[in-house]
Amino acid sequence: MSELCKVFRGKGCAPGEFEGEAVVSNQPFGFWQGIDPQTGVVIDRRHDLFGTSLRNKVFVFPFGRGSTGTPGVFLEAVRNKCAPAAIVNVKSEPMIVMCALLAEAFFKVQIPIVDGLNANPRDVLRTGDRLRVNGTTGEIEILG
Amino acid sequence: MHLTDEEQRILDGASGEPQRIALSVLRKLGEAYGADRMAEITSAHVVGSSYQIAGEAGIEIYSQLVSQGARVKVLTTSDPGSIDFARWREFRTPTAYAERQIRIAELLDQMGVIPTWTCTPYTTFNVPRFGEDLGWSESSAVVFANSVIGARTNRLAAYVDVCAALTGRVPRFGLHLPECRRGEVLFELDPDLAESFEDHFFPALGYLVGQVTGDRIPVIAGVKHATFDQLKAFGAASAASGSVALYHMVGITPEARTLEEAFDGCEPAERLHVGKREIAQTIAQMSTGQGGAIDVVGVGCPHASIDQMRRYAALLEGKRVHTGVQLWICTNTVVEEMARRMGYAKVIEQSGAKLMVGTCHNDCPLGAWGFRRLATDSGKFAYYTPTTVGTECVFAGTEACIEAAITGRVEQR
Repeated sequence: MSELCKVFRGKGCAPGEFEGEAVVSNQPFGFWQGIDPQTGVVIDRRHDLFGTSLRNKVFVFPFGRGSTGTPGVFLEAVRNKCAPAAIVNVKSEPMIVMCALLAEAFFKVQIPIVDGLNANPRDVLRTGDRLRVNGTTGEIEILG
Repeated sequence: MHLTDEEQRILDGASGEPQRIALSVLRKLGEAYGADRMAEITSAHVVGSSYQIAGEAGIEIYSQLVSQGARVKVLTTSDPGSIDFARWREFRTPTAYAERQIRIAELLDQMGVIPTWTCTPYTTFNVPRFGEDLGWSESSAVVFANSVIGARTNRLAAYVDVCAALTGRVPRFGLHLPECRRGEVLFELDPDLAESFEDHFFPALGYLVGQVTGDRIPVIAGVKHATFDQLKAFGAASAASGSVALYHMVGITPEARTLEEAFDGCEPAERLHVGKREIAQTIAQMSTGQGGAIDVVGVGCPHASIDQMRRYAALLEGKRVHTGVQLWICTNTVVEEMARRMGYAKVIEQSGAKLMVGTCHNDCPLGAWGFRRLATDSGKFAYYTPTTVGTECVFAGTEACIEAAITGRVEQR
């Protein structure tokens, strides 16, 4: 990949900045019955990330799905410091954005969310990439 | 996003910390989704009432809000809890777990939430009218309010529903806007299918529609007649297998008196035919287990209405639930009370079945029971119980489920 392609622009959906390692999936994800909030590990047996920890990661997946109870498990993970630290979606579902807004309001933790990149995130981002995510400007940079 | 003077004062803290936090969350949500302003709501329904959902994080949030003097501003009802408050020992709920649920109940009570403990608030004290803006969560209740009643609510998340309750407002985007309520995907039922709607038809059709539609708005044409309970079962299944928040059923639901009205004059983005073959395929997908011996039966998802209680009682009259099988009928306290007065509860309990009130198989910790195979007539249970209860699941019609409880076996269709 050329140096020029290392910054992508999308839409900032929830504010904050984070620099860390990416975990990338091609499958939609539901946090409710999807992660163990005590550890941050994916517990959905039908999901390709089953057994992977999302703790303190940049979680890249197409879109969120599932229950209106989603922030229950998400905020429990935030409280246990086991939640993903940033999220990159193709199209962010309000349910996921609400999780980040609530984490900021009630636990003073910012979880930046970016969607609508000018490239398909699953084509340009790989698990293990080091990323800088800015949820205010919507910019994502691959650091290496 | 435009804010009124009053909303600006709330954000400046003039109405106290809970309202300030709540409105700031709603404002950011509105800004993320392009809302032009807030809409005033007539009621809220909150899903973080269950300890299984809210957990310790929820208790922390509610405790903070209560200590700051939070009170709901509009009529607000609670979704199911994680225990049957009257009978949790009978359902083998661990004491420490029940105590945390009771703590949530106290906190919601202090905020002025009506303790309906039901996913069908519209059968109790929260009955919206056509066109009203609401702040509801609980996917099955949201889809009922939008589709069957024609009220307007997005699928709010746990705690955001509380923010709506505390401020009496939601950001105006998505399903609050008439132009965002038009149909997108058309499902045309084969005429031969429409002639013979059996018991299991509506949850199976809902499950199929949800799978195909995702979060778009489906329109179903070809249903000639549907009862309150059938629409409830259909919507809950579609909201579980997909994220359907609004459907139109031509000639049945209020925003779809005609096909043209359902699509608001636009063309469907996608058209699908549904016949006996598609329904049979869906029914097969809804079961994770084979037919055969079962040890637990779940009906009343969403919570049973009084008419469903009448039906269960008629099916159980003079019968006995099979030894080693638990038949639990989930409902709310309002329906339970009426079922007692009308003698249905007595008939049901004499058969060995149990009423499970204010909660359900999905919300309650059932590890102590060691269940292996569950039969249900609910599309939502079929979707969730393999994970929440950890059993195999066999989907069948209501009569077949009650019969399974009596014989201890279910025949897969």
